[in-house]
Amino acid sequence: MIDDLVVNAALCMLMTAAAIWTVVTVRLLRAAIGLALTSALLTIVMYRFGSPLAAAFELSVCAGLISVIFVSAITLTSRLSSDRLNQRESEVLRRFWFLPLLVIIAGVILYKTSIPIEIIAFEGKTAAQDDVRSIIWNTRHLDLIGQIAILLAGAIGVVLLFKERKHG
Amino acid sequence: MPTLLIILPLALLLILNLPLLRAARRVSFWLCAVLALAQVVATATHMGGLIPDLGAAFDPYIVLQLRMTGLSEVVLLAIGIVVLASLFTARAMIADHDERFKFGNLVILAMMGLNGTALLADLISLYVFIEITAVSSFILIAFDRDSDGLEGSFKYIILSAVATAALLASIALFMMVSPDTSFAAVRAALAVSQHSFYVNLAAGLLLCGLFVKGGLVPFHWWLPDAYSSAPAPASVLLAGIITKVSGIYALIVVSTSILTVGGAAGEVIMVLGIVSAIAGALLALGQRDMKRMLAYSSVSQVGYIMLGLGSGTALGVAGAVFHFFNHAIFKSLLFVNAAAVEGSLGTRDMDRMGGIASKMPVTGVTSIIGFFSAAGIPPLAGFWSKVMIIIALWQAGHQTASVVAVLVGVLTLAYFLSMQRRVFFGRLREGLGEIREARMSILVPAVSLALITVAAGLFFKPVFSKIIMPVGEMLVK
Amino acid sequence: MSELNLVLPIAVPIIAGILVLPFRAARGTVHAIITFAVAAFTLALSLALFGSEAALSVPWAPFGLDFSLRLYSFSAFILVAAAGFGTLISLYAAAFMRGKEKQNQFYGYFLLTMGLVNGAVLSDNLLLMLFFWEGLLVPLYGMIAIGSEKSYRTATKALIIVGASDLCMMLGIAMVYSITGTLTISKVSVATGSALGSAAFILMAIGAFSKAGSIPFHSWIPDAARAAALPFMAILPASLEKLLGIYFLSRICLDLFALTPDSWLSVLLMALGCVTIIIAVLMALIQKEYKRLLSYHAISQVGYMVLGIGTAVPIGIMGGIFHMINHAIYKSCLFLTGGAVEHRAGTTQLEKLGGLRAAMPVTCICFLVAAASISGVPPFNGFFSKEMVYAGALERGPVFYIFAVIGSFFTAASFLKLGHAVYFDRKGDGMERVREASPAMLIPMVALALLCVVFGVWNAWPLDTLIAPSIAASGVTPGETHGGASVFLVVMTCVALGGAILNHLSGYHITRRGFTAVDHIHETPGLSWAYERAENRYNDIYDLGKRALVFCARLLMKVDRAVDWVFERLAVAAAYATTARLRALQTGNYSLYIVLCLAGAAAVVAYLVQ
Repeated sequence: MIDDLVVNAALCMLMTAAAIWTVVTVRLLRAAIGLALTSALLTIVMYRFGSPLAAAFELSVCAGLISVIFVSAITLTSRLSSDRLNQRESEVLRRFWFLPLLVIIAGVILYKTSIPIEIIAFEGKTAAQDDVRSIIWNTRHLDLIGQIAILLAGAIGVVLLFKERKHG
Repeated sequence: MPTLLIILPLALLLILNLPLLRAARRVSFWLCAVLALAQVVATATHMGGLIPDLGAAFDPYIVLQLRMTGLSEVVLLAIGIVVLASLFTARAMIADHDERFKFGNLVILAMMGLNGTALLADLISLYVFIEITAVSSFILIAFDRDSDGLEGSFKYIILSAVATAALLASIALFMMVSPDTSFAAVRAALAVSQHSFYVNLAAGLLLCGLFVKGGLVPFHWWLPDAYSSAPAPASVLLAGIITKVSGIYALIVVSTSILTVGGAAGEVIMVLGIVSAIAGALLALGQRDMKRMLAYSSVSQVGYIMLGLGSGTALGVAGAVFHFFNHAIFKSLLFVNAAAVEGSLGTRDMDRMGGIASKMPVTGVTSIIGFFSAAGIPPLAGFWSKVMIIIALWQAGHQTASVVAVLVGVLTLAYFLSMQRRVFFGRLREGLGEIREARMSILVPAVSLALITVAAGLFFKPVFSKIIMPVGEMLVK
Repeated sequence: MSELNLVLPIAVPIIAGILVLPFRAARGTVHAIITFAVAAFTLALSLALFGSEAALSVPWAPFGLDFSLRLYSFSAFILVAAAGFGTLISLYAAAFMRGKEKQNQFYGYFLLTMGLVNGAVLSDNLLLMLFFWEGLLVPLYGMIAIGSEKSYRTATKALIIVGASDLCMMLGIAMVYSITGTLTISKVSVATGSALGSAAFILMAIGAFSKAGSIPFHSWIPDAARAAALPFMAILPASLEKLLGIYFLSRICLDLFALTPDSWLSVLLMALGCVTIIIAVLMALIQKEYKRLLSYHAISQVGYMVLGIGTAVPIGIMGGIFHMINHAIYKSCLFLTGGAVEHRAGTTQLEKLGGLRAAMPVTCICFLVAAASISGVPPFNGFFSKEMVYAGALERGPVFYIFAVIGSFFTAASFLKLGHAVYFDRKGDGMERVREASPAMLIPMVALALLCVVFGVWNAWPLDTLIAPSIAASGVTPGETHGGASVFLVVMTCVALGGAILNHLSGYHITRRGFTAVDHIHETPGLSWAYERAENRYNDIYDLGKRALVFCARLLMKVDRAVDWVFERLAVAAAYATTARLRALQTGNYSLYIVLCLAGAAAVVAYLVQ
């Protein structure tokens, strides 16, 4: 049995690494994958921290939709040669070498100066503890409809933006 | 009725997109327009108390936890009007049937998102519906698939991501103290743990997310590009209602039904209002691009709304709501006119225009009405809402803010006058001899919006005592 | 007399104006007839209303904004005067405007102006008055703007200056409301002792000053004299705006705030009056253009009214108000003579005019009468009102009196120059075929000139029937004021007038031309420098404000651009790394935007959390 803390810390670090990779990489496709990975990891972290509802939304909206738009952007752009890409990549890596360091330093500072939690706990069950299925199917018709609409919008967007322009 | 307002657009959208109904696509514009018109008529008659709730019989079958208040009615009316204006503009500006059909789809989706935002009473739903509107508007901005539009859209997406992150984080924090995320529950929970660090953090993040959506300085970076690079009908929709509902209306609702107005949150809103009003007006003064100038003017007017909201009195909040409505009307009007001018001249550069009022009289006159209302010239509607805000600020003891509001009025007059002079007045610029008045489907919304502005000003007394003031009093209990 | 009759002087001209406005006309005869008929109707109506008292109050909008009108001695007096000027000038305009462009607009704005002025005078509610007062901006802008191609600039200038001072008045009204809790004029009474009270007084006075055209809110008037049609000058800056501005100033001083002689505000008003007299008359002295010269006098004479009312002693106040009506009479008469000359001779440049006495005898006589009035020559009306102002000023302090007399000296000098250059002197080129003006133009001129004489010789009549009841309603006892004043004052005035004549003769002796007769004053070492600055508008409040505003806007734009520039440069390297197409899309500003957003968010959160 591995300690919970270790798992959480590992997930958080992985997520940070994925996020940095997303920012630093020069290839759009990799960036999209990095973003999806970050979102997925964030979803797991949220779930493990006991917020399945937030996790579900994060997964559907961020991972789903933003990736869709990212992919549509890729199709609209043309590519550099792979030599130039590699060259650019090493340049960017050189430029942003300090990013991981920055994250680590920030983590340490946050840990050292951890702010005491002083929430006066709500008497009884808070929203964070509800079961996600019962929430979505029983009390949240509105949000469900909303989610459908978002996906529709995304679909229309992809159809629209993928299509070649008619004139020139 | 509230349920219908959300279900009907979605149903229309699905029906229009059924593969079998390709024929319906040619009339899609009219179907969308009828839907929007129905919303205007239903809301207006409902407000006037003329008819009972039409869709009430429909409500029990779907549990949507919506609430219809006086404020929602005002907002729904504005949504219907601006959507109509945008659809008519699209009819004039987008020639291709298929393209227009797609545009209609997106507008209907955005309308559904806006209606939902106006009706809901729950933080998570707020986030979801703001997101619907946002996604539709991302695509609307990039609708022409030109590089400007894509760039504007990307800026909006990137900064919206910041807003989304802030909203989600604050919802997560609120969930730690509250049994569910409905406004009432969160408010009750906040009353218990008022001074906690995390609760204040959550409130701050919530406000900041909405500040980005509403385009307040210093969160406005996406707004000028998005407004000016979007196709004309999309910028009518975007400037007229989308940013206003998903940012400003949400701020009004959140700050009145979750936070307590007049507290520290009120001070933050007030300061940002002052900064936005001044910076927006000064930036608008230096613009050459017509739509960009209107965009900065939006930032400035939003500052006014924030000032009214920040005053924390019933009169101030009522003024903010009224200015919200007026701004939706006159800013759509000005953007419709900008579309007409762009359509006729093929440029938005004001230095290349001049004297076109002689060739485009209707556009010229309606544009004067719009800018008079924006600058607060009596007896147009914009004058009354500004006076309400200024008086409320003075009464609430914010004399400085009230003076600033008056001074910004002068700036507003200055930049709109410079626009009128450069675009419409004076001698017709050489090479513009061939231009013609815009098409009927642009003039119809322009004239209607101008009439609404004039009527709301002339009938201020009943509008004020029957609709606006009760809303203000309801919000500041 | 039904109360509803009070609405007629407001509604009839406004409705007629709105009806006239959209219809273009080639000759404009119909427009002119309608305008004259409406003006005459308003005059008849206000004469019928004169002497009665009435009040009308209809609840209209919230915040104590009632539609309330009040007719009493003072407002009835102004109503009659405004309608009288409207009638005469509309008759004149019918002749002057014939065949000109945009007549529909001119007459429409003319009628709107009349209605709005009546509204502002009759209002018994500060916000309602503000409504009419600000409404006047529209015809003001329109009337200047239709003048010529370049008039927009002047119209905008007028709109901004008057609009800005109207905003000051709005603030003043807000302060009065917060002090007294009422907006009904007849109920408001504020002590000027407190800081807020003083501020409210000053703000509202600024509104009145700018309407009356006092320094430093005057700078649009001389420009408008060049840009706008002449009947505009005669109706707005010369008569109606003076009536309205001074009417409201006296209401402020007498009713809203009880201004007392020992108040520093009284000294402030008097000082402002003196400054206006001297500066504007000095500017008038050197003008080489008929209308522009008159327009500077229109500013200068306001100084006498402000000085008179500012003295806060009965004789001064009466003198100020009497001077207001006298000024409106002779100044519109002067403008009308200027218009007649422009109409017939085709120019108003003094250099080109000359010797018109023989060709236009009636115009010349009207000019002489009005010029004698404005210079304060007995027994014309200007003499008596000026003497009363002098008496009031002398009572408060010799300094103010001396300034006023110096102003009188320069006034006389500049009119000697004007009259000499236009009507006497040798005939200018192309002046041979000039004819006398048409009857429609002469009638108003003659009527006004006769009024100058009537109000002068029988000065007791206007003083007793018009002025005394007006201020008596505000609780000021007129006292014994008839027939001018002490021997000392009359002698001093004669000395000033004699000095002006001597000055003119000596100047004429040097140059032998009428229009250069005062050039020796223009070229006085210290003054010529000041003149140069003034002519180049270094001191124009509008230009100063515009420069400051443009500077601020540029600065902010620079900051905006600078931030943009920094990140355009920094982002270039990163943009190379992505595809060529995306590089075109991405200017690289996103990171900056996010950083700024986050910084803003951090500030907000920090404020809320602390």
